[in-house]
Amino acid sequence: MALSRSDNSVLGRWWWTVDRWTLLAVGTLIGFGYVMMLAASPAVAERIHQSRDVFILKQVVFLALAGLTVVGVSLLSPRGVRRLALLGCLAALALTAATLVMGVEIKGARRWISVPGMTVQPSEFLKPCFAVVAAWLLSQGQRRRHFPGMLLAGAIFIVIAMLLKSQPDMGMLAVIAAVFFVQLFVGGLNLPLVGVGAGGLVAAAGAAYAFFPHVRSRVTRFLDPASGDSYQVNTALEAFGNGGLLGRGPGEGRVKDVLPDAHADFVFAVVGEEFGMVVCLVVLGLFGFIVLRGLLRLLAEQDLFIVLASCGLVTSFGLQAFVNMGSSLHLIPTKGMTLPFVSYGGSSVLAVALGIGMLLALTRRRARSEPVWSTAS
Amino acid sequence: MTDAQPQAPCTRTAHAIAPDVARRAAMEKTRGRLVIASLGFSLLFGAVALKLAGATVMFPMQSKRLDRLAQLPNPISADASAPASGALAMPPRDAGPHTRAMVVDRNGEILAISLPTAGLYANPREMMDTDEAARKLKSVLPSLDLQVVRARLASEKQFVYLARNITPNEHLAINNLGIPGVYFQATERRRYPQGRVAAHVMGGVDVDARGVAGVERAFDQRLRDDPTPLKLSLDVRVQAAMRDELSQSMAEFHAIGACGIVMDVHTGEVIAMVSLPDFDANKAGEATNEQRFNRAVTGMYEPGSTFKLQTAAMALDSGAAQLWSSFDAAHNIRIGRFTIQDFEGKHRVLTFPEVIAYSSNLGAAHMAQQVGTERQRSWLHAMGMFTRVGIELPEQGQPIVQPAANWKEIATMTVGFGHGIAVSPLHVVRGTAVLANGGMMLHPTILEAEAPQSDEHRIMRQSTSDTVRKLMRLVVTDGYGKPADVPGYFVGGKTGTAEKTLGHGYRKHANISAFMSVFPMNAPRYAVYFMLDEPKGNASTAGYSTAGAVSAPGAGRVIARIAPMLGLMPETVTAAATQATLSMPLRPGRPAGWRPPVDTSLAHAPAHPQEVPAPQQPVIPRQEAGPSITSVAAR
Repeated sequence: MALSRSDNSVLGRWWWTVDRWTLLAVGTLIGFGYVMMLAASPAVAERIHQSRDVFILKQVVFLALAGLTVVGVSLLSPRGVRRLALLGCLAALALTAATLVMGVEIKGARRWISVPGMTVQPSEFLKPCFAVVAAWLLSQGQRRRHFPGMLLAGAIFIVIAMLLKSQPDMGMLAVIAAVFFVQLFVGGLNLPLVGVGAGGLVAAAGAAYAFFPHVRSRVTRFLDPASGDSYQVNTALEAFGNGGLLGRGPGEGRVKDVLPDAHADFVFAVVGEEFGMVVCLVVLGLFGFIVLRGLLRLLAEQDLFIVLASCGLVTSFGLQAFVNMGSSLHLIPTKGMTLPFVSYGGSSVLAVALGIGMLLALTRRRARSEPVWSTAS
Repeated sequence: MTDAQPQAPCTRTAHAIAPDVARRAAMEKTRGRLVIASLGFSLLFGAVALKLAGATVMFPMQSKRLDRLAQLPNPISADASAPASGALAMPPRDAGPHTRAMVVDRNGEILAISLPTAGLYANPREMMDTDEAARKLKSVLPSLDLQVVRARLASEKQFVYLARNITPNEHLAINNLGIPGVYFQATERRRYPQGRVAAHVMGGVDVDARGVAGVERAFDQRLRDDPTPLKLSLDVRVQAAMRDELSQSMAEFHAIGACGIVMDVHTGEVIAMVSLPDFDANKAGEATNEQRFNRAVTGMYEPGSTFKLQTAAMALDSGAAQLWSSFDAAHNIRIGRFTIQDFEGKHRVLTFPEVIAYSSNLGAAHMAQQVGTERQRSWLHAMGMFTRVGIELPEQGQPIVQPAANWKEIATMTVGFGHGIAVSPLHVVRGTAVLANGGMMLHPTILEAEAPQSDEHRIMRQSTSDTVRKLMRLVVTDGYGKPADVPGYFVGGKTGTAEKTLGHGYRKHANISAFMSVFPMNAPRYAVYFMLDEPKGNASTAGYSTAGAVSAPGAGRVIARIAPMLGLMPETVTAAATQATLSMPLRPGRPAGWRPPVDTSLAHAPAHPQEVPAPQQPVIPRQEAGPSITSVAAR
């Protein structure tokens, strides 16, 4: 890409203002996801009843779409991001509500909507969109008199919480709640209320443990692996053990044949088995780099909306990666969540791409005089 | 949800006064919190990195499943559904690093061994020509059903099982065929080289090599965990000899079943345990229930006259009767509706030794009456007749015993000659072995014992045991047990014929005919039990199907065969002298100067009434045991 600094085209301006380090990290992750897809394809193709070629084609298309989404969304102005998020939030809310009525039931939960070619999990898209919308409401609440931003954001959150509780999708709810909480925290919520919020999260987790049998069973199995079927997590740990420092080599892993969710929820174990600890650390490092760079770059940011929205997007991205890696390493109870860009999966990779695209768009360098908040209508 | 109210007024005020300052202050706060959030994420990701290092390099988890899978050339995933493929991909069991341990007999002879074999499966989708593949496979494995194989290979599945237990030669031959899409799965197969010989003791394993019966089940975990061979007390040569003699007698007398046991009377080790009909342990799955039934420990039979030895011992040990006591066998006993009578009785007063030698029901009934219900029950309890026999086999059954409340005088009398109670043959063997070994209680075991049992305790006087040994010898020299004698081995024993019960009564001509013997009687080593189930008399026995006619000869032949195997040589040179020490007159007189004891039984016998609590084991009421004893015959 030979773009001159003086290139004033849309792409030219984008290239010189976008955070290219983050872009590089994201690109590396997408490339890595491509490699893992090739490695896992024989096992997964069988599992989803498709020929290997169709599967590979499909995932190539998804990853390409993800790349395009990242770039395309990052071309938007902050205002554009806000509008997109608002629309996306409304649409995702509606679709999430629709899952309860017309959703596809998979493994006891109604989280998916069937569209031609794939099943979409609308709550995946809700996650980045709500983060941006909440950030906007919160920043407006601080900026304008008589604007009950926090109240509105809280109300939307409660609606989302009710929907996700009915699906049920406690993992997604936990992530969205945590992201919202971090946004409130960064937004300057005073410490007593931070305490109340944290207490609320703990209480909610306790309630989930008490009222949802599958949550309880997973936590019990986590705390005492002997108490139940810990086949998945044991197999995953064996995979890491097999991999050792440098791994068994690409395609030589076995865990992907054994675990039904190896290509999605346990992809980190596949990486560990085939590529070993060093590459796992590189992957972990990429996620850490994106998250920490994203957060620390906000220190120089003047605009509260940008800070809150970016911080929400980064948190959601980072938490998702942490939950995935943590569950396959038996660091936390098993929770099916994809590893951004690396796991197989259509709608989740697009949703993650949407979030990262928004992040890149919001963190593009702007002239100081370009106040994004004042344009709020 | 948190509310904005507490904070809002403050912000608004600040905003009104100095908007820029307030905003800057707020942004400072936000920046501080961003740093905290960054620290939080560093913590989370650091934890992941630590755990990752632990799981991969520092404490890698031992992998059984994945390594085992790595031997497979291709992912196994059967049909479509994910759970099914997960289940199939999982090896059938956690076999551990080694194969199931061997089981050997006391001489190291192999009774059970696991051989490595392979399971043959195929992925039809990888096959170019399934018909040709089926034909080629059939050429190596003639037992394959071509139709079935064709049908399986024609399916849309990616995993079809074709054959189990492929031998290494077949494995090689199939590989040489070069058929694509054919795979092997490492398995093991349990083989029992002795086939039927100790099938009931071994039990067997299922297709996943889990013990389902016998020793395989009792020691399942041990055989998985510990690769060293499990050594049994059995001597397979003795076992085979016993089985051989039982089969011959069973055929000769058209019996429906048979049972034989050899036990070391000092250690309680079971040297042989045979139950017929039996089955090939290699094909345990095809055995019928009748074949699987282990008469030796599961079958509960009325012991019949073999129990008179117990009655004699308890009478002597308690002082209730003396060798020179006499008992009325001239008159049948009538209690209520029941009549007790003798089979071919002498119809006169019999001495103590005569009661045993001629197996008099009336004499034994009177003897038991003199012992009394309480002492009889505590004796039998101490002998372990009320509880499971305690051997390691899971099939052992619970004796059928009347509860104490129903144990009236009639029960005392019938139990005196072995009716109204049902125990397993192993109970009878253990009880008789204890009578012969000097009175030390035994715990029957199927495992080789290094030394005589350490926790053994005396339950009768040595002198009682000495007298009972002479009585047992008397049965063989002068009583119904004559056919069991083997020159030089001083066999002693007792016949026992019991009519089998059917519903509420006894079946005529359906007997359990057993001979319970011990040899050599001068220094007892082994107890030998030989029983036929429903034998039919023939010309050679003048139509008799009683124990003396059908079982005693078999017991004698067994002893003659196994004694040399067990290292016992016949004592012929000093036979007369030895026999003299064992002999006893049929009608002994009262020794001069003897005075009746003042119930010394309580003083010397540790296992007697006061010390022995009532049976704790719940006793199963035997239905209608009493009313059925209308015409009990003991021979």
